[in-house]
Amino acid sequence: MSVAVSTDQLVDWLRRYRALVVQNQELLTELDSAIGDADHGSNMARGMNAVAEKLDGATQIDALFKSVGMTLVSSVGGASGPLYGTFFLRFGASAGAVGELDAGELSAALRAGLGGVVARGKAEAGDKTMLDAMIPALDSFDAALAAGRDLDAASAEAVAAAAAGRDATAPLVARKGRASYLGERSAGHIDPGAASTALLFEALAAALGPAA
Amino acid sequence: MIGIVVVSHSPALAEAAVALALQMAGASPPRVVVAAGAGDGVIGTDAARVAAAIDEVATEEGVLVFMDLGSAVLSAEMALEFAETQHEVRLSAAPFVEGIVAGVVLAAAGAALDEVDREASGAMAAKTAQLGGASGGPEPVDEQGADAGAAVAEAVIVNDVGLHARPASLIVARMGDFDAEVTVTDADDPRRTASARSMLALMGLALAKGTRLRISGTGADAAAAVEALRALTAEGYGELG
Repeated sequence: MSVAVSTDQLVDWLRRYRALVVQNQELLTELDSAIGDADHGSNMARGMNAVAEKLDGATQIDALFKSVGMTLVSSVGGASGPLYGTFFLRFGASAGAVGELDAGELSAALRAGLGGVVARGKAEAGDKTMLDAMIPALDSFDAALAAGRDLDAASAEAVAAAAAGRDATAPLVARKGRASYLGERSAGHIDPGAASTALLFEALAAALGPAA
Repeated sequence: MIGIVVVSHSPALAEAAVALALQMAGASPPRVVVAAGAGDGVIGTDAARVAAAIDEVATEEGVLVFMDLGSAVLSAEMALEFAETQHEVRLSAAPFVEGIVAGVVLAAAGAALDEVDREASGAMAAKTAQLGGASGGPEPVDEQGADAGAAVAEAVIVNDVGLHARPASLIVARMGDFDAEVTVTDADDPRRTASARSMLALMGLALAKGTRLRISGTGADAAAAVEALRALTAEGYGELG
């Protein structure tokens, strides 16, 4: 059981996220071609590949995530750039100039990131966006911690909740982003942003898990 | 003069829209910087580039930012957090092409940030009115003949093409020289009226050759402004060969 999360584990999270995004690039783009502009997979892969070049030698968590956020902002191109960029910038600002986080601090940093995405995108739950995966993931994560579970178990709960949230976007009508131009026709497809957010929690659980 | 930033997914789109605007902005246009694309030919936007562009054009009079759609808006909002300028920076809700043209032309005439933003944001109304839509065009102007210091003159449009885009931009630029509120009205159909500061409203009237214009103004320089516009019209806006 892990009591604290180190900078190295957070770097591992980002590397694993990059790997998952690259692996799922075609799937993400396929989802985006149904209701968006067919670039989410390539945008996120380009962004995370750029991030991967900035990870060596990271010590302070705030500096690490500032660099990650700014790199995404400048390399993704689509709306996910400012959205994921804001998520990581706020995550880092909440964490501060430290080299490890306890479970409560990690939760607070993730919540700060979520708050940033909400403020930036002005979306809410049910709008068929990445929030539909992120909000349930963090709710489950916090509930598990509150119930005394360890980080490994809590992050596994977050993965399940994010995946369920992602799948639940399928019947929704998009109210934000490019997909909202389609109106009713956006229903019947999983939101690509929710799909890439589910991968973010898969990567987190893998990085926090016993195999890490 | 205010500075202008144009944010687009596509450098080609932004540069073409800016070229269209600068063509009508006369000899002393505002500074316009494009922040478009996400580098390496990628279609997209980059908040860091937008912030750098804002800082590059910032003046005491402020900065107006035009955006195409989607992530351009998110990136511009994020850029407000990164930009270092202490001067006012405003994101315009204007339609992209019409807003840039109307905004650049009015900014070139020395208008303040508020006025340029209002004119650009009203750009859709002029188009809607021209197509016979519900909107009656921007800024209905009151009858001003009774005001103190008011001036009125009449002139007939004599150039072949009428009061199209180039004359409209010329009028806006010329009116920048005066402290006056000047309106242009079709003397035979007084409902058709527009501010001489609004390029798109003037164009929206689609005034043809032979139209009799009533030019009325108020303000300190009303007489001079009205006379300048009367002369400009009588001379065919420089289009009489």
